[in-house]
Amino acid sequence: MKSQYFKIWFFLIVLTIISALFSDNFKNGAIVILVLSVLKFIGVSFYFMEIKKAHIIWKASVVSFVTIFFVIIMLTI
Amino acid sequence: MDKASSDHKNICDPPGGILIWIIIFLELFTFGAALIAMVIYSKDEPQIFSESRSHLNVIFGTINTILLLTSGFFMVKSVEKFKLGAIEKTSFYLKLTMLGGLLFLALKSIEYIDKIKAGLTIGYNTFFTFYWMLTLFHVIHILVGLIILGTVFIGIRKRNCTITINDFEASAAFWHMCDLIWLLLFPIIYLIF
Repeated sequence: MKSQYFKIWFFLIVLTIISALFSDNFKNGAIVILVLSVLKFIGVSFYFMEIKKAHIIWKASVVSFVTIFFVIIMLTI
Repeated sequence: MDKASSDHKNICDPPGGILIWIIIFLELFTFGAALIAMVIYSKDEPQIFSESRSHLNVIFGTINTILLLTSGFFMVKSVEKFKLGAIEKTSFYLKLTMLGGLLFLALKSIEYIDKIKAGLTIGYNTFFTFYWMLTLFHVIHILVGLIILGTVFIGIRKRNCTITINDFEASAAFWHMCDLIWLLLFPIIYLIF
């Protein structure tokens, strides 16, 4: 369990750095950045906030929120 | 200290309690709606948004994201130690958590001072109106989170500690909520325009 949290943290940091690198350097970088943001959001909520241990309604609510939010953003930009 | 752990599989008992999760969703909806409005406004002024975004320091934004994620990691460790009843280690990780929050605020202050000196204030254009309102509102959440964590820290150091696991988890959930809000703000304000 100890190493699992560290792995999640490391994964989140790597995704953050990749997002920053995509900001100016790649065409269609916005889509990559938004997809990585969804992964980071789910990483924090499921592992750091332990929503993975909660009732499925809470898991579904978190995933639905972040998916709908970023899909709206992707369709609008 | 109440070490009784609750059954988070119960729909009415998510980690931290149902009330904090209602607050978390309300906050996420509020910031989410404002960010969607920002993106819709950017369609009318794409040049202004793109140019204004280039005035933001992506490195500062990235470091701040790393600080908040690292602070969140220490918060997780602190909750883990609290559940084991290891108060010294709980305090240690809680101090590191708060340090992450303070460093975030310090870097944000430097960024704000730079913007003010450059004349990029709240009324400069639509982009900066959203930038200031959303990031300042987030900073207020960080300040409230630090006050909550400070109160918990003082509480667990007392000889007759009355802080329960649910209290601790609720405080942690509020702190992680600040991470979640920043994870919505950072890509949209700093990266995509």
